[in-house]
Amino acid sequence: MGNLGQVTIDFERSHLVFPILIGSILALLGIAILITRRDRIAASGPNWRQTFADMDKLRFFGTLVLTVLYFSLMVPVGNFWPNTGLGFLICSIPYVLATGLLFMHERPLRQVLVMLVIAVIGPSFVWWLFTEIFFLTLP
Amino acid sequence: MRFHRNCESRFALEEAQQIVIQWPRAAKREDLMKLTRRTLLAAASSAALLIQPVASAAQELPRNVRLVIGSTSTGGDTYQNSAIVAEALAEQLGINIKVDAVGATEAFKALGRDSRGNTLMIFHDQSYLGNLYGVTGYADPFEGYTVGQTVAINPGNAYLVGCDSPYQSMDDILTAAANGDRVRVAIQPGGVSEIGFSAMKNAASVRAPGSEENIVAVNTGSQSDKNQAMWDDLADVINGSIQANEQFTQLPADDQKCMRFVWITARPATLEQAPAAGMGNTTRDQMLQYASPATSVTLDGTQDFTFDKEFFFLYNKDMDPAIIDQVDAALTAIYDKGAIQDRQKASFFIPNFLPADEARQHLTDKRETYAKVIEQISGGS
Amino acid sequence: MEFLSIISPLFLFLVVGGTFVGIIFGAIPGMTATMAVAVCLPLTYSLGLENGLALLLGLYVGGISGGLVPAILLGIPGTPSSITTTFDGYPMAQKGEGEKALRIGICASFVGGIVSLLALYLAAPSLAEFAIEFSYVEKFLIILFALTVMAALSTDLLMGIFSGFLGIFISLIGVYDISDGGNGKLRLVPPGTEYWLDSGFSLLPVLIGVFGLAAILDQAELGVPKGQSRGDVKIGKGSSFSFSVFKGQTVNLLRSSGIGTFVGILPGVGGSAASILAYSQAKTFSKKSANFGKGEPTGLMASESGNNGLTGGALVPLLSLGIPGDSTTALLIGAFTLQGIQVGPLFIGNNPDTWNAMIFAMLVANIAMFAMMYFAIRYFALVVTIPKHVLFPIILMMCVIGAYTINYGIMFDVWTLLIFGLFGWLAVKLRLEIAPFIIGFILGPSAEIYFVKSLESFGTLSIFFTKSWIAMLLWVLIIGSLTASIYLSRRQAKIAATG
Repeated sequence: MGNLGQVTIDFERSHLVFPILIGSILALLGIAILITRRDRIAASGPNWRQTFADMDKLRFFGTLVLTVLYFSLMVPVGNFWPNTGLGFLICSIPYVLATGLLFMHERPLRQVLVMLVIAVIGPSFVWWLFTEIFFLTLP
Repeated sequence: MRFHRNCESRFALEEAQQIVIQWPRAAKREDLMKLTRRTLLAAASSAALLIQPVASAAQELPRNVRLVIGSTSTGGDTYQNSAIVAEALAEQLGINIKVDAVGATEAFKALGRDSRGNTLMIFHDQSYLGNLYGVTGYADPFEGYTVGQTVAINPGNAYLVGCDSPYQSMDDILTAAANGDRVRVAIQPGGVSEIGFSAMKNAASVRAPGSEENIVAVNTGSQSDKNQAMWDDLADVINGSIQANEQFTQLPADDQKCMRFVWITARPATLEQAPAAGMGNTTRDQMLQYASPATSVTLDGTQDFTFDKEFFFLYNKDMDPAIIDQVDAALTAIYDKGAIQDRQKASFFIPNFLPADEARQHLTDKRETYAKVIEQISGGS
Repeated sequence: MEFLSIISPLFLFLVVGGTFVGIIFGAIPGMTATMAVAVCLPLTYSLGLENGLALLLGLYVGGISGGLVPAILLGIPGTPSSITTTFDGYPMAQKGEGEKALRIGICASFVGGIVSLLALYLAAPSLAEFAIEFSYVEKFLIILFALTVMAALSTDLLMGIFSGFLGIFISLIGVYDISDGGNGKLRLVPPGTEYWLDSGFSLLPVLIGVFGLAAILDQAELGVPKGQSRGDVKIGKGSSFSFSVFKGQTVNLLRSSGIGTFVGILPGVGGSAASILAYSQAKTFSKKSANFGKGEPTGLMASESGNNGLTGGALVPLLSLGIPGDSTTALLIGAFTLQGIQVGPLFIGNNPDTWNAMIFAMLVANIAMFAMMYFAIRYFALVVTIPKHVLFPIILMMCVIGAYTINYGIMFDVWTLLIFGLFGWLAVKLRLEIAPFIIGFILGPSAEIYFVKSLESFGTLSIFFTKSWIAMLLWVLIIGSLTASIYLSRRQAKIAATG
């Protein structure tokens, strides 16, 4: 076999070897998929429209928006009380409540109150457990 | 990818192996976050003043401090050291200090973001060595941050050969290089693990100019990789540590895994402070045989090269300097009491407290020395 | 038996308590055994060596085992090594066999734990001796072997393999990690994102994003329907558990435990490879391989006995070479050094009492794990009766905690969760396959480092075939495994076409 497989790898450039190799394989596979599945890919337009039409847009995008808000606010809020994890606690309560309400189908007062209680107790317990007992850093 | 830190990583005792490099300067994030941050801060700052009417006095450490470290392992030497110091400091000042092993990259980022003193950092010589070796994105800590107190030394940095190696000493190795033999040294490039290797090259070039070409690096990662490189006969000499490798030196000579120390890089003054019993079956006196002056790796033909891995504080550049003074005073009091020294020595660390100003001077000088070594071997050849 | 004097009520309490806390950590998606040990490590300073180890080993065994609970009930792997548990455990739970699946998983975990403990106790030094025969080349082949499962897991071979390679590709984003032997240079990072992506995407946030958040987004898209899946599944509805499921599974259990133990022994190869490899071999050898991924108990057993087999295995190199077999055992080194004890080739000989106490602690931890989990199943299983509008927000919040704390407080990991949640949701629509993707993502970095280092050290491609008899044996296994999965996928396609 000897010389046929000879490869010299320059350490300074060795970070590119594997990405290039995997990238090439990926490209080949991608082309193979394009060729063998071209009909299905071409016909996917209506499929996507259908998916979008069937989507529960309020719940789907609502979840996304709430989650993005939740993630973005945690750190700035936490910065007012550095290293206490309060950013997490203060943001989690409304987040759990809001997503909970969003996911409910009917919202009788009793259920809403139950959700409210859970939204307060859940994050508070978790916050207490992780910051006070396990001494972990939360935002 | 980051998961190596927490899931599958090959951790080793030596912290040097754990270092993740590159933190493009914090400025970039600032730009992107400016709008949201500024608006949010403006909107909420008045509220914050109301919420926190008794804001702690500006010149003091806040009640809840996060101490980030340049390592991702909570089992390694940086963490142990930082935990010992953090505990003593927290007790002395009556505050909470949480040590977070976020790794060099994230630690510098976190420190750069916070000028209020809520975030402090402890790391070791890797912080500037990474910069000297030109590792991508490693900024100069003396410029971008404030270097503070040193607290301890890990004197363990060492070089070893296999028991069946023809080399008995560093002198043999350098002579071999001068005679044109290739000596392969397994290191983790770009920092603490490489500096001794650079010193070897430098010494070779001082003794026989040109022979440094015969000392070549085998770039590996963790301690386990370096050991494996020796057993696979990919390396003649490996970087290691007293702590992680001492037991291998006690194996019978015919054991494939058997190793011998050839060089311990610590300053003699440092090693002399180690417990007389040393580590395992190797006494302090035996260790001293492998360190300067008994084992000499020359710096310039007259002086020996030495390297101590020192742990020190790093602060945000814009932080109120009064906090540094406060830590100075607190650490002085702690080290005066003496209990911390016992704890450090029990974990084979050498206590080494220097107040911030002295420490900064000392580390700047140290950096200069190594800068010259690195420059010589890269420029001279 | 000097060591018996070490065994005090406190010792036993710490093992059992540690196991309990470990199970909780393991059961929370994103919280791992490693974190449980890391969090409790400082406590061991005051406990003394043996008692400290008792606690940590309990946490370790519990943490590895607890991962099966969310994997089975929610389809979210509690720890990376329970990834393959979701493949068959979750479908079983959806069929109403959650309780049965949990019991099977727990029994298999117990077997894996005990087998590996025996291996550790009886053969640690010689196993370590064997492990150092594995250089970069053999380690790469082991990873390659584990990667062949991508083919076995694909429903559509071409798309599955594409997804797997995509997973590898994405795992390479960021620096070529110096601590693994790389050169610390960035690659595949789009300009402007270096600040966040310099160390790439973390595994756990990706995992819980793809499995946890994506599933919730999926449900949200459907309007969080009331009358199906999780919320209203009756736990005991399906066939109930009896030990007869294990009939004819002895070989599978032993093979999987053995694979788990062995992968644990190899430093650096990593825990998730253990269960992945065990799972893929079970699938290759099983007569019912077509049922894998649809709720086949055999797959579940393989996965769980494989990942618990890891516990004993990973201690082998730690205690006989001073080299940790995985990240959790790396922390145990810290516990030893805190007490001034060196771990290395002389450890067992120098500290026979500590060694015996450790083995005993592992044994107790395994028994405690089994007892606690087996009898607590009906409480665990209550999770599926919680209404979705309560369960989902709580899961989301727990995912955030897991992602944020996994690297001790990095906000980008939380965003990773969202990015990969969206990716996972979208991938299904693009017919990408999540299972091979995630396996590629998990194994990609190790594959890279061992592949590149092999070539760097030996300078020729032929080394992969000629390095040693181990390498050749591994090739036989790799080719066998590939052929089997391609054959099986053809046969399945044929059955699907005719049926």
